[in-house]
Amino acid sequence: MWQTLQDNAATLFNFEMMGRYGWRLVDGLWITIQVVAISVSLGFLLAYPICLARMSRSKILSGAALCYVTFFRGTPLLCQLYLVYYGAGEIRAFLTDIGLWWLFRESYFCCIFAFTLNTAAYQSEIMRGALASVPRGQTEAAASLGLSKYRIARHVVWPQAFIVALRPFGNELIAMIKSSALAAFVTLLDLMGQTRFIFARTFDFLIYVYAAIIYLVIVEAIRRVWGLIERSCSRHLVIATRETQESRGQDESRISRAGGHGLSHGGSPQSQRA
Amino acid sequence: MKKARLLQNDAVLKTTTLLAALGFAACLAAPASAKEWKTVRFGTDATYAPFESVDPSGKIVGFEVDYGMALCERMKVTCTFQNQDWDGIIPALLAGKFDVIFSSMNITEERKKKVMFSDMYYATPIVFAGQASNKSDDVSPAALKGKTIGTQSSTIHANFLEAFYKDSNIKLYPTQDEPNLDLASGRIDYVVGDGLVEADFFEKKGNGCCRVISEIKRVPGIHGPGVGAAFRPDDTDLRDMFNKAIGELDADGTYKKIEAKYFKQDIRGKQLVN
Amino acid sequence: MNWFSLLFGPGGWSGLLLEGAGVTIALAVVTVPFGFGAGLALAVLKLAPNKVVRAFCEAYTTFFRGIPDLLSLFIVYFGLQALIDRLGHALGLANPIELNAFVAGVIALSVVVAAYSSEVWVAALKSVPRGQHEAAQALGLTPKQAFMLVLMPQLFRIALPGLGNIWTILLKDTSLISTLAVMDLLRAASEAGRNTTQSILFYSVAAAVYLVFSIISGMVQAGLERRVNRGFA
Repeated sequence: MWQTLQDNAATLFNFEMMGRYGWRLVDGLWITIQVVAISVSLGFLLAYPICLARMSRSKILSGAALCYVTFFRGTPLLCQLYLVYYGAGEIRAFLTDIGLWWLFRESYFCCIFAFTLNTAAYQSEIMRGALASVPRGQTEAAASLGLSKYRIARHVVWPQAFIVALRPFGNELIAMIKSSALAAFVTLLDLMGQTRFIFARTFDFLIYVYAAIIYLVIVEAIRRVWGLIERSCSRHLVIATRETQESRGQDESRISRAGGHGLSHGGSPQSQRA
Repeated sequence: MKKARLLQNDAVLKTTTLLAALGFAACLAAPASAKEWKTVRFGTDATYAPFESVDPSGKIVGFEVDYGMALCERMKVTCTFQNQDWDGIIPALLAGKFDVIFSSMNITEERKKKVMFSDMYYATPIVFAGQASNKSDDVSPAALKGKTIGTQSSTIHANFLEAFYKDSNIKLYPTQDEPNLDLASGRIDYVVGDGLVEADFFEKKGNGCCRVISEIKRVPGIHGPGVGAAFRPDDTDLRDMFNKAIGELDADGTYKKIEAKYFKQDIRGKQLVN
Repeated sequence: MNWFSLLFGPGGWSGLLLEGAGVTIALAVVTVPFGFGAGLALAVLKLAPNKVVRAFCEAYTTFFRGIPDLLSLFIVYFGLQALIDRLGHALGLANPIELNAFVAGVIALSVVVAAYSSEVWVAALKSVPRGQHEAAQALGLTPKQAFMLVLMPQLFRIALPGLGNIWTILLKDTSLISTLAVMDLLRAASEAGRNTTQSILFYSVAAAVYLVFSIISGMVQAGLERRVNRGFA
């Protein structure tokens, strides 16, 4: 009986394969975490100026920002990645001249570069929506109280915008973790890359399932943590509002690499505060 | 609750049956050929010029395409060529997506565990290629310590590098074109691959970037004797048909004719009955 | 290197790119009824009284939304092959049944789209007032009529923005199929780029085409939303 149990366990969990190659998955996971953490952070920094440009009165600035956002949200990430990776190889001479070849030589940095540009476009739209959702009256009232522009932003507008933006940012982080799997196609041995490597050796399709479970665990963990952060940040809001946010806002606002042209903002109409 | 139950009865039942029916219909999309081989489907990774590649009109062309078609003519069957990613080519064969792998697959003991091979039909030198500016001909593991060597994944070249070049940086790509492109752009220092494929690439697309450095002696356990067609282990009759046709094409000079169309040298290699 | 001749001259690659664009659109369009339809079915099941059914649907959705679309595609693609293989052997068929790559792609994408869209449909289902359903019953409409004439239009109006988002995701996810040897737009661009070493040119062209699709989708969606919101404030 013990033998049959072992046999059945063996069909579900390929001990031999994991024993030989399991460490690769851990390696890959670490690379994935690095790449995602760095790109999302850099993307956040890049997104704010783009957001401001988008909302500025200057036609040139807002037009340029709109072009940027439209391009990076309207084309597949894989296409952008190939463009950066193989494109950089083609213009190697130029890059060496301006001293940036070392950056584009490594697929690790190429991936971070492409992911950063991509996530910045999405994050800037989230920020824009969140900032736009704060009623004009707040800014006017604060101005009439004599607060400086910085004070208005820092103490009045941003805190309110932050709560609206929180859920979509969480979605964006999750979306980035999932999209990072594409790095495998430009030779970066992240979690997906190692998975493909192991599959090429063993042809055991279960390795994809194990990788899926790892991704799932990470995504669920982030979802839970984000939920905690959301709850602690919106403690002061009326309970009805929080429920509305939770039940309605669940990812209609930003499902994954959602496009949605023109009219999108950080949240769909239903997830605005009551 | 009432609403859900009402919907459940009719809509759900209908949708699920419809989906199931469509699912089955989709599965039976292309019933496989009968035991009497009238049509044979070839699977190949058409990123391996001059053996197989995709031309601008989308057709798969190359030495192996011509040779495969000639074999089919001799066997009096109709043949089609399908493109398939190299990493998944053996699982695809085993799952029945096509009947033969005709993609410059080297005969190795490891692969023999999963598929059955025909007689060998060509054997070409395996080479190290490097930058044109690299004047050194030393490609020993010691000399290449710390250097970046690229090749296609799931190939005998990848296995070779893993076995002997542990101190070098090995990069694996989905196709053989990509490491060549990266070598041309200077991203990697060396490429290991088939001599004729490398020569073809450098001649047609290299622009003097790179050169073939030296030949690698075939290591019996890793490289195998040469290239053969791969079949599912049950299809012994198809394999025998192929072996017969291979022998006949050798005897009446058709092989030489096709060979001469693509290559200036003899690639037939030693006869090996498999 | 003359860009124009690479694209349009004899031996130009524009034919292949056009074909690829066609495959991309075809993939997306064919997936819509299956994916959104399955999503609706899933959403309805999620509101079922049976706990087990609800739990299963939630698990399905959580799984396919929590893993990369690429991985979903691979699992469905290879898993489906393995499944059909086993089915074939179990039914005693002499040779395994083949699954056409395009069809496999549609199935894989539909599985993913169903998971995403079920969330949108659930929100829409929840926000149609109960009274509508009861009124339809009171008027003597059959369940099927009630669904088609009363619920569906309202559902569609509420779900439209979310579904539009998912369509955009779908359009971009079709590019993932290129990794499974289906000659879609991105793969065509890769082939062209690899064969001519002019990657920037072809990937830019591919990106431009995707952009055009994306912009047109946005316009169509805006138009649909306007139409569907007629008579609403």
